[in-house]
Amino acid sequence: MSVLRWGEVRRQAADPGLLLTFFGAAAILGLFVLYPAFRVLTYPSWRDYLSIPQSLRWVQAARNSLVMMVISTCSATLLGLVFALAVTRPDMPGRRFFRGIAMLPLFAPPFMVAFAYILMFGRQGLITRTLFGLDVNIFGWHGLWLVQTIAFFPLAMIIIEGVLEAINPSLEHAARNLGASEGAVVRTISLGLARPGITGAMLVVAISVLADFGNAVLIAGGFPLLATEAWFRMEGMGDLKGAALVVAMLLVPTTALFLLERYWVSRRVYTTVTGRGSRIERPPTPTALKWGVGVICTLASLMIVLVYFGVIAGAFTAVWGRDWSPTLDHWRLAADRFATLWTSMKIGALAGIMTGGVGVVVAFLTSRHLPLRQFLDFLAVLPGALPGVFVGVGFVLAFNATVLGGTFWILVIALGFWHLPMGYQAAAARLKQIDRTIEEAAVNLGATGLRVLWDVYLPLLLRALVEAFAVSFIRAVTNVSIVVFLIAPGQLVATFVILGMIQSNTWGAAAALTTMLLLITFVAIGATSLTAGRFVRAPAMG
Amino acid sequence: MHRLRLAVVSMVLLAMLLPGLSTVSAQQNRIVVYSALPDLETSLVHREFTRRTGIQVEALVVPAAGTLQARIRTEKDRPRADVFVGGDRALHIPLAREGLLLRYRSPAAAEAKIDPAYLDPDGYWHGWYLGTLSIIINTERWDRELGPRGVRKPASWDDLTRPEFRGHFVMPSPVTTGGGYIFLAAQIFRLGEDRAWTFMRALNANASQYTPTAPGTIALLERGEATVAMMWAHEAVGARRLRYAPLEVTVPPDTGFEIGAVSIIRGGPNPDGARAYVDFLMSRTPQDINARFGFRYAVRADVGVPAGATSFEQLKFVKYDLDWAVQNQTRLRERWTREIGR
Repeated sequence: MSVLRWGEVRRQAADPGLLLTFFGAAAILGLFVLYPAFRVLTYPSWRDYLSIPQSLRWVQAARNSLVMMVISTCSATLLGLVFALAVTRPDMPGRRFFRGIAMLPLFAPPFMVAFAYILMFGRQGLITRTLFGLDVNIFGWHGLWLVQTIAFFPLAMIIIEGVLEAINPSLEHAARNLGASEGAVVRTISLGLARPGITGAMLVVAISVLADFGNAVLIAGGFPLLATEAWFRMEGMGDLKGAALVVAMLLVPTTALFLLERYWVSRRVYTTVTGRGSRIERPPTPTALKWGVGVICTLASLMIVLVYFGVIAGAFTAVWGRDWSPTLDHWRLAADRFATLWTSMKIGALAGIMTGGVGVVVAFLTSRHLPLRQFLDFLAVLPGALPGVFVGVGFVLAFNATVLGGTFWILVIALGFWHLPMGYQAAAARLKQIDRTIEEAAVNLGATGLRVLWDVYLPLLLRALVEAFAVSFIRAVTNVSIVVFLIAPGQLVATFVILGMIQSNTWGAAAALTTMLLLITFVAIGATSLTAGRFVRAPAMG
Repeated sequence: MHRLRLAVVSMVLLAMLLPGLSTVSAQQNRIVVYSALPDLETSLVHREFTRRTGIQVEALVVPAAGTLQARIRTEKDRPRADVFVGGDRALHIPLAREGLLLRYRSPAAAEAKIDPAYLDPDGYWHGWYLGTLSIIINTERWDRELGPRGVRKPASWDDLTRPEFRGHFVMPSPVTTGGGYIFLAAQIFRLGEDRAWTFMRALNANASQYTPTAPGTIALLERGEATVAMMWAHEAVGARRLRYAPLEVTVPPDTGFEIGAVSIIRGGPNPDGARAYVDFLMSRTPQDINARFGFRYAVRADVGVPAGATSFEQLKFVKYDLDWAVQNQTRLRERWTREIGR
């Protein structure tokens, strides 16, 4: 085997185009992934780092972030588990409906849940005040908890669902035949085998909660958190060193969780070994469980519908909380800002192309037997561990003083490379499914390494490419955490304007612009589904 | 398949060219302005500036002066902007100290006989408007909850500590906002440091939230999330006149204030244009626009008091020691976090 490999290395070393691409890709990833991170970490002096424990504000923010991480992760994972149970039981009524609804928060801009719940449950809230006459303060950790639970449980659901789906029904039948009660089957088989999935879901959700900027900035109120503190430092005081310190603090737990997920949990999958695939129906779900799960899912679905309803209704309501007459006035104000939507879409499209293109090339390179390919692989997945605010501060420090500064390219590159893991992992997964003999045939006919990429793999990877493009596009158009740090004169993007509008009480126009963002998102999903021939999954984060 | 791939590649190339083309066509005779004032005032002032001088303005409007200050700092090796306008002078002074600003003494300022108190003795920044801190009441909520109980409206800073206001009060955080910090410093200049902290602790008992951004306070008050607030007077007057928010403004004695400044960035692309801009801001028209639409006091004597604002003669400012306030900033913010804890 090793002899064979060495032969391959030597053969590919003789392929200068491939080697050049390899070093080019490594250099670009180093520049746009490693260098900004390096700048953030080295911007504060070691003395600044040592002073962290003495600054009460830092300690508070760190503690609060960890507390939110624990409670939001637990609640979101639990809700995700309940949904996953519902959608994987064939005898569960409305399972397709629940699944469809649960996917919706993934396509919402990262501040939308908070915005909608302020409209619904705040002091001027449609439900709290107008319907029930309550005087509720939604700002603070409790509001954030609710919002993050709803915003991030779909991530948990998708992961746990995948694991539950893979459990062989014959195991459940076997347990029943051996005398286990219906409840015991769910407890010992379904949940038992889903344990690594649940752990993995918790880690993914925890990273998202820690990095959550959009919701926290709107609804956390005076509750200091690491993800928002960096922005407040910049915004109010121009304190770049403070901002760098805070995001560096945030990086420690997110990287730890990320490495744990990638190199430990995802490798400890419980596989149920059977000879062949099974076509047996799953045993019936216990009635009590069916009811319990059904009620929880219905309530949560209602909460999700409220997210969309609140924002869209807000765009057509005269004065939220006071005058409920329908109006189109907000659209006139929003129309003045449509140019920013166009800028957002341009940036999103370019970022999407970058994510897809770089992702495919890097995935192709790491599939070759080249030296240091593990390192390239690490660089390509690393952005998944970086919170958006970290990337934002990193690009400010690394590139504001270069030709990129003040142009919209800095945003394109920041977003394109931040989303790189999506393009890379999609392409890498597809590559593994492609039979090597196709390539060998091309090589035997005299194709070089790059020719193989262009003529053999690119056509086969087109679907992965289109999906990566769509996900990156949607996330770039709706991003706030990076955008707030990198806006440039003449290049304002929609989300930045919306955030400003929400904070200055211009809710109607903000809701109108958010509705436009939703429209763009769903058109993008629709177009991609048509091109790629299947439904797109968009993991939300940051 | 071939055609599809070609289409993708040509789309990439086209998309890369598009923004390039637009920058090439940009004009030579223009300046770049970083403005911390809201959109409305900024665009009106700039339209007038272009009409008078023929110089085009490209503005980055971020109503958060700290962001712009940080941006100027990160761009110091390659400045993109010519002018930094808006925000208290305390945000311009550190930039001057770091050598990022260009010294200039506008002849227009001398001509207009602007009070030297509004100008930097070293010539790094020019003050062109004034804002004062104030007590603001949401009258709708007041009439519903506190009015019927016969509560007297607060008229001084000390009134804010009365127990009737428990849970009704909001203000911007002194740790993350300039306005909040000026308030804290003003209390120290008013009462001396020890008594000022006693006052702050009493006020804390009433506070429902310290908003991390300054606009956050006015947003909460406007929506009736709070009844009483400490905030810039012009923000409240603006909210009342432009959005019909039910707000009432009182400027108490010993109030804190900001001197809104404009400064020229060293090494910017168009220093002559920047000087023309500073000269222009010293003139009557822009200060009048700012008073009319931003409700801030002009530093020129010939511009009227903003509509709905307290007359200038009635304002009683605290004796504010700017140097002391700047030097003690880190210590006071740290102490705030320790003593108040939020």
